[in-house]
Amino acid sequence: MKNSDYLYLDHAATTPMREVALKAFIEAENEGYANSSGGHNLSRKAKNILEESREQIANVFGAAPNEIIFTSGGTEADNWIIKSLFIKGISPNSNLVTTNIEHEAVLASAEWIKLNDYKVTFAECLDNGIVDAEKFLSEIDESTIVASVMLANNETGIVQPVHNLIKKTLEKNNETLFHSDVVQAVVSKKIDFHKIGIQSAAISAHKIGGPKGVGAMFLNNKFKLPSLFHGGKQELERRAGTVNVAGVASFAAALKEQQENFDLEINIIKKEKEIFETIIKDNFNVKVIGEEEERLAHISNIQFENINSEVLMVDLDLNGLGVSRGSACASGAQKPSHVLEAMGIGKDNINNHLRFSFGWSTDSGDGKKAANIVLNSLENLS
Amino acid sequence: MKILVAMSGGVDSSVVAGLLKSEGHEVIGVTMKLWEGPNGEMPETGCCTASDSEDARKVAAKLDIPYYVLDHTKSFSEDVVGNFVNMYAKGLTPNPCVECNRSVKFDHFLEQAKKLNCEKVATGHYAKIVNNGGELELHKADYLNKDQSYVLHMLTKDKLKFIDFPLGKITKPEVRQIAAELGLRTAFKKDSQDICFVGKKDYRNFVNKRIDISSSGDIIDNEGEIIGSHTGVHEFTVGQRKGLPGGQGEPRYVTKINVSSKQVQVGKKEDLLVSDFLIEDVSYVDVLETTGLSIQTRYNSDDLPCKVKLVKEGELEINLNEPTYGVAPGQFGVLYQGSKLIGGGRISSKILQNA
Repeated sequence: MKNSDYLYLDHAATTPMREVALKAFIEAENEGYANSSGGHNLSRKAKNILEESREQIANVFGAAPNEIIFTSGGTEADNWIIKSLFIKGISPNSNLVTTNIEHEAVLASAEWIKLNDYKVTFAECLDNGIVDAEKFLSEIDESTIVASVMLANNETGIVQPVHNLIKKTLEKNNETLFHSDVVQAVVSKKIDFHKIGIQSAAISAHKIGGPKGVGAMFLNNKFKLPSLFHGGKQELERRAGTVNVAGVASFAAALKEQQENFDLEINIIKKEKEIFETIIKDNFNVKVIGEEEERLAHISNIQFENINSEVLMVDLDLNGLGVSRGSACASGAQKPSHVLEAMGIGKDNINNHLRFSFGWSTDSGDGKKAANIVLNSLENLS
Repeated sequence: MKILVAMSGGVDSSVVAGLLKSEGHEVIGVTMKLWEGPNGEMPETGCCTASDSEDARKVAAKLDIPYYVLDHTKSFSEDVVGNFVNMYAKGLTPNPCVECNRSVKFDHFLEQAKKLNCEKVATGHYAKIVNNGGELELHKADYLNKDQSYVLHMLTKDKLKFIDFPLGKITKPEVRQIAAELGLRTAFKKDSQDICFVGKKDYRNFVNKRIDISSSGDIIDNEGEIIGSHTGVHEFTVGQRKGLPGGQGEPRYVTKINVSSKQVQVGKKEDLLVSDFLIEDVSYVDVLETTGLSIQTRYNSDDLPCKVKLVKEGELEINLNEPTYGVAPGQFGVLYQGSKLIGGGRISSKILQNA
């Protein structure tokens, strides 16, 4: 099967690289291959590319350039922010408050600091997929050094009331660092960190048509974090390791195109998702998760009544449609999502979900095409 | 033909996928995830490790076939591991491979294949399906060293229609050679030997952790004299020699396990000689005939010539021509006529007529 015959609806996992991003990568590698920390002419070229990219990316998020630190991706940024303040010598009461619907990068980092005997609270979400604000806030105390809530969920697309949570968290403890994983939200929301009040964020390039292995941490200038990686003095002594200048340039180019075409792309995504959901709902007994809530435009998580989605996903793949089910375990088995479990979806339905995620490469007609493939498979399987 | 191949990550199933693909079939590879730790982690030893599915994935990529890992942990844990533990708790000797074939591979997996519009499932078992004038028969593999028909005795003619055992006519060395010729990375991978979910560890610890019984009791001899004590009947199996109180002179063997009185009886080797026993829950692949029959009482054991009597529906009395050692209640008695498998059932602990 050629890739062009294959319908890709797994953009929430990753996206194809945009032409401009590929081009920017090659150009940056040609002209700026030198180490951006070096002291010679070619290094200055690399440094210029790096800093221009940083400015441009910072601009998109209403941030100052020195509030953007480049990383290997969203996971590194999440690890850095969640873990690095929990070090030797701090008060033993120091604690982290987060939610039980975070991305694995946050959840597993939180588990890690728990292993080091710090208190961690995973505030539960309500059955509608939105974090229980009251429970969350009740856990914030004078020793809460980090709080973390994602801006929008990667499995359901459900948007979280982050602005409000930040405001109330800071009323209880204005020294808390409020972190938000915005990796998925960036795809279909315009974000201004300072306006929302987010103090640190994890961003990933490959979700918006940039390269894999590149991302950024946003950190409000008010805060300083110990390093996660130790070594050279790159990124203003904050993150050791030769900077991936070409990757960053490629990230900037992808983000630029995404922002310029934002309304156009989101309109197609929205329309195709609507067509898709409407056809499926009209023809099969399904539940669209988070339908009544504010959702990211590109994510559609669907529960199929009495259909095991593990086999459905295989059948869709064999018929040319790529989607996802939850997270993959070490063996490669697709496990049901922890987010759906957190929403109180019981064992009768937890195995009946698939996530369809649209993206910048989605074309008009994809929604209908996908719906037809799904209906065909459902007919086989039921 | 569209065929779903169960790929464990070993050389046998790798070659099955390769052979079927080279015959022009539309092959889909699937690794069944059978077992995981309490937090969903993969086992480190035995089969089903993350590196086994990684091997299967790489073989599938090399063969350019679609490949998936499907989660069968629930069924495996209930039907296979649960049964394994319960059997030991009842003083019986389980055979988890039979249960796995019965409830996971040739039930749930077969159903999945049908849903995916596959005409057959294929596995790397060494056994042969023979079409004898339109009638499907299950036979021993030509390569008798590896014959696995014993653990497939629960299949029925209806199921054979949907199954392919491509290794039935080739030898293990040939399998390795084919794997090498196809450039498959599993060509020289070691065969797995252990019970896959227990690995190299002692099965007793595994069972201990999973049952909440305090079944400590006495060890008695043939005369009923107490000669020692034990901490659980599940730690014994009929024919076992290890872990018994030392006798002067002749070695002692477990000859009987009585769960209700929690007594483990020991005796001499001759006490283990059995010539007549019952098998229950008998299922048939073929029509039971009364002549030319032989029985295997353990996986890949000798064929013992025997006669059978129907006791009642699903229960047969077996009369061996010559008594034998190693008839353990819980294991299966599998009947053959020559190389043709007739059927089989679980060896009963009810009456075990010693010779």
